[in-house]
Amino acid sequence: MLAFAVAVVLFAYANVGFGLNGKIPAGLAEYGLAFTAIVLVAHFAVRWLAPWADPLMLPLAALLNGLGIVMIYRLQESGRNGNPGNQISTISPSTTASQVMFSALGVAAFIAVLFFIREVRVLQRYTYTLGAVGLILLALPAVPGMPNAEVPGTGAKIQIGIGGFTIQPEQFAELALAVFFAGYLVAKRDVLALAGRRFLGIDLPRARDLGPVLIAWGVSLLLLVFESDIGTSALFFGMFVAMMYIATQRTSWLLIGILLFVVGAYAASKVFSHVGARFTEWLHPFTAANVFCNPTPAAHCVSSYQLVQGLYGMGFGGILGTGLGHGQPYFTPLVQSDFIMTAFGEELGLTGLMAMLLIFGLLVQRGLRAAVAVRDPFSKLLAGGLAFAIALQVFIIVGGVTRLIPLTGITTPFLSQGGSSLLTTWALVALLMRVSDTARRPAPQPIQDEGMTQVVRAA
Amino acid sequence: MNRALFRLSLACLVMFVLLLINVNYVQAFESSTLADKPGNARTFDQQFQYQRGSIIADGTGGPLTIAESLPTKTSTSGNTIYQRHYPDGAMYAPITGYDSIYGSTGVEAAYSKYLNGTAPGLQVQNLISLLSGKAKQGATVNLTVSPKAQKAAYQALLSDGGHQAGVVALNPRTGAILAMASDPSYNPNLLTTLDGTKLNKVDKRLLADPSQPLLNRAINQTYPPGSSFKIITSSAGFSTGKVAGPQATIAAPQPLRLPNGNLLNNDADEDCFGGHPQVIQAFLLSCNTAFANIGMKVGGPTLRSYANKFGWNDSGLAIPMPVSPSVIPKITDPSFTAMSSIGQFDDQVTALQEAMDAAAIANHGTLMRPYLMQSVQAPDLTTITSTTPSVLSQAVTSQVASDVGSMMVQVTQNPDGTAYQTAGPPAVGSLVIAGKTGTAENTVSGAGLDDAVFTCYAPASNPQIAVGVIVKGGGFGADAAAPIAVKIIEAYLGVH
Repeated sequence: MLAFAVAVVLFAYANVGFGLNGKIPAGLAEYGLAFTAIVLVAHFAVRWLAPWADPLMLPLAALLNGLGIVMIYRLQESGRNGNPGNQISTISPSTTASQVMFSALGVAAFIAVLFFIREVRVLQRYTYTLGAVGLILLALPAVPGMPNAEVPGTGAKIQIGIGGFTIQPEQFAELALAVFFAGYLVAKRDVLALAGRRFLGIDLPRARDLGPVLIAWGVSLLLLVFESDIGTSALFFGMFVAMMYIATQRTSWLLIGILLFVVGAYAASKVFSHVGARFTEWLHPFTAANVFCNPTPAAHCVSSYQLVQGLYGMGFGGILGTGLGHGQPYFTPLVQSDFIMTAFGEELGLTGLMAMLLIFGLLVQRGLRAAVAVRDPFSKLLAGGLAFAIALQVFIIVGGVTRLIPLTGITTPFLSQGGSSLLTTWALVALLMRVSDTARRPAPQPIQDEGMTQVVRAA
Repeated sequence: MNRALFRLSLACLVMFVLLLINVNYVQAFESSTLADKPGNARTFDQQFQYQRGSIIADGTGGPLTIAESLPTKTSTSGNTIYQRHYPDGAMYAPITGYDSIYGSTGVEAAYSKYLNGTAPGLQVQNLISLLSGKAKQGATVNLTVSPKAQKAAYQALLSDGGHQAGVVALNPRTGAILAMASDPSYNPNLLTTLDGTKLNKVDKRLLADPSQPLLNRAINQTYPPGSSFKIITSSAGFSTGKVAGPQATIAAPQPLRLPNGNLLNNDADEDCFGGHPQVIQAFLLSCNTAFANIGMKVGGPTLRSYANKFGWNDSGLAIPMPVSPSVIPKITDPSFTAMSSIGQFDDQVTALQEAMDAAAIANHGTLMRPYLMQSVQAPDLTTITSTTPSVLSQAVTSQVASDVGSMMVQVTQNPDGTAYQTAGPPAVGSLVIAGKTGTAENTVSGAGLDDAVFTCYAPASNPQIAVGVIVKGGGFGADAAAPIAVKIIEAYLGVH
């Protein structure tokens, strides 16, 4: 499977070269070898550290990561080195190299997680620590005076700059908060599940138990207000509600969550013009298709240029796509990040896009399967929440760029350019594989417990 | 907890299914709608990155390429940019139109989907070129236009002394358009520039030109038909039985007092065979009062219904470019009917309609639908589509057509006929042209000369070409319009 994934990626990479200028691309040897090496290292690490883990997850992740690198290379080459197309100013000539490097870092994080966390359960001990870490990470960019807080051209203040690099701490916060949610909910699930009153056939929780969900809601709204990051706020809140539902099995929590979300989104769209603008752009994309907001999107400015360009690209790709290197994805601003799926849609067509969505779907399904199979409630909750988070993230961004739902900027897992997202997603997959390894391990061997304890002490 | 997890997986499934349905909607169903949105840079770019198909004049004297895409330069992005080229420029402009970066007209617009290769029939072809790595190429559109006839038509219009004029030649048997020229014309090559600023300037200049060079006078400008309308009036008279036949006698007083008290005169106040001519005599001399009488006998609404059978008042006609309807107003008042039946009052006609009138008579009363496209060929020369000639209407019976035709022959063959000198034996020898002149008082042009009209077909015994000519302010139809028709007929039939 893994060899197949690597072969697909290498073929796609060569294809970009043929599509652009009829030649095998220059970096095939370097990038190809680097990618193959990264994937092989990951593979042997899994054989060593988590031999019982679901064998399909790594190939799926590697395939997505590889295709992301291929598309970023293709976008980087557009208009450079005599290749057709316009140059994309937001991509530098070394973007692919960085992306390969970030992939290596991502796989390193993947291996580190597998190495240090031999049993997901141990994370339960750090529930509140990680909860605090998560909140701090979330709040960091909003701290006044933080360098490089705004992602250029988007208005989202989610970055911090450290020595020439920018990182998006919220990406890491996702994992920390997932652990916190899981730990908290496992501890409190009996209380939360306790029915208060029955109303219209639904078990309503007691008023004081509403506390945590209201807090999560409040934090999501704060995130939205102070950092203009609607997508991440929706993602975190959705993940929290899903985990609450897994923990309590109470439909009422789900309904309360959805209700709060709808109320919050509606209120935000009325109160904050930049949220309202997103709704207008979603409902009437073509009326503001050629509006450019200068210099960066002002809060009140409705411009669906990016969305419409993405749609044009996908429409242009049609069923079979233009072929890698034959399309014009460079018309879509920031196509390498949130809109990368539209570039795939344009060049690989409906066929390619559907295949990629199915790969995501498979990855989610494998994660949920691990959650179902594992016995420990904490691991179950964490794995279920993380798998759902991938699905929700894909839904929010792909639904956004294809105009299924209002567009909210968020990275596409594995595909979008950027190290923070890659690192987080690889770590997330490592956690899922660790859970799956635990679940599928044939029989507990008492002798290993000692070894595990040592590891935890070391950590 | 597993029950909740199962439900959650269902939620995930629903999310992915929604995404899949939506991308299918965007990429499969909405694809062409998106492509047609104004301001879609991808469609715009594609237009000049692929070789657009050629337009070929494939009639007698052809094939001749009248529009083609030539590789001009390499863009900054490394792609070959194609630019449209019209080898004969202004001569074929009313047919080809132009394809500019802002939009297109004429055949370029009407068959754009074939020329740019996006028509449904070409998708398999595109797929093959995509798989084999060949550049996408548009289909070739073959037109029925005869280069011989078109050249003669355009040159004849150029040498008519600077009058604005339009002409159409048809094959009466099929409806195929053999020539369509307009004067003044424009050079479509000026509009194919890829430089937006330059194009803007050219476009503004052409639009501001008082002589309206962009106007296609063959199909989109109407003029009063004058006496050429007597073909319709006669057809209505014979068909309704109100007039027995060409030999029947009809009252043609000079002048004719109309019911409203006005006087209607013959041209030059001519005494028309003592005021009691046969219809055929009145026709060859073009006596107004005789046909005013026929028109009043037939009645306004009936006269109009016969005109409609010849294609008048049809606002839906397209060749495929939309044709301005030729108009016979709805009248019941006999005095106005009298004026209308000699092609005055508010009657308006295009050159194409004039050609269609003659073509219906030439083709035993059956009017064929006029068309330009012979066939469309994919780059691998397979035929994607072609036009099968179809009947537009049965204008008159074969007998009536033959009666009217015999009268039209007399117009050129009888030494007293209005077109004897310019389209009869002195001009064309043994070739027999059946025609009708028209000299329309043009109230619009006021003090200027009358509009000259000539409609005809030839050879009379075996019609192969029908021509309609209108020269604005040209004067007598026989003098200004007939020679243009003659030149086209001679060139097309190869006689001289």
